[in-house]
Amino acid sequence: MRISELAASLGLEVAQGSYADREVSAGYSSDLLSDVMANAKADAVLVTVQAHKNAVAVASLVGLAAVVVCNSRPLPDDMVEAARSEGLALFKSPETAFEVSGRLWTMLRRP
Amino acid sequence: MSPSLLARLARGRGLDLVALTDHNSALNCPAFEEACRREGIAALFGIEANSVEEVHVLCLFGSVADALDFGSGLRALLAPLPYDPEKLGDQVVVDADEGVVELVDRYLGASLDIGFGDLCEDAAARGAIVIPAHVDRPMFSVSSQLGFLPTGPYDAVESMREPPAALTLGLAAVSGSDAHYPEHVCRRPFAAELPDGALVEGGAPLLEALREALRAGRVRPSWAAPP
Repeated sequence: MRISELAASLGLEVAQGSYADREVSAGYSSDLLSDVMANAKADAVLVTVQAHKNAVAVASLVGLAAVVVCNSRPLPDDMVEAARSEGLALFKSPETAFEVSGRLWTMLRRP
Repeated sequence: MSPSLLARLARGRGLDLVALTDHNSALNCPAFEEACRREGIAALFGIEANSVEEVHVLCLFGSVADALDFGSGLRALLAPLPYDPEKLGDQVVVDADEGVVELVDRYLGASLDIGFGDLCEDAAARGAIVIPAHVDRPMFSVSSQLGFLPTGPYDAVESMREPPAALTLGLAAVSGSDAHYPEHVCRRPFAAELPDGALVEGGAPLLEALREALRAGRVRPSWAAPP
């Protein structure tokens, strides 16, 4: 499934939509950036409440496909700007990380 | 930014006292001590430690040996993230003349395998001045990671702006540069009333003089108007 299809299915709000629309491999849910760096895989979607530019930096470092910020947390301008300059897909959701992760799981992992 | 550049800029921009606090490491403190001696500026030696919850805390020591000792204990707790210089730039230990002494192969910005409470207790037990860092920031702070400031052995808190009472627990709030780049050295300095001669004496007496000033609230952060 591609990033744009996934965003449409989850009903995500696009915060930064200028990205290469590639295949998403998996999801990863975490709010600790060290944990994301250590354990998230490239081309995964990060589900988090960390709404700041360091989350974008870690996403590019790991090679994540997209970041979804949950609970309608406001995204600071410098975070959106960082995502734009990295070409990282950045989305917002009013749902909790549990809900977004659950729906993502059924889309990506359900046998 | 090298330790010698930090010492030079700190003096040039009018500071009387400067501390080096690299993330999770004191390895550049020996060079910093030498650089500050050459510049004729008083120095303290520290670490900005990153707890398992990703809360940053400043731990300041009067001597390089104490800082290195604390740092070597942290090294064993550092998450084993390999360091990729291609993506992050070189992570170096240097001497006072900016010669490279060592390339650290683990990412020093990673979190430590120790909780914020235990980290603060450990630093305090080693005689450090313990200051939870940028408590009002939306990342890497007690407010962003824990939601509140638990009671602990702190000497003060550091904040970007005047913090709400819940984030000070009645302790003095100081400002700080959190300088990662040369252009940020000396932004948001704080003033402290220290006894005559403390800056010249340096070392443990200076550390204790600063601790006393912090504990007594004889400090003025950058957001407060001069008296």
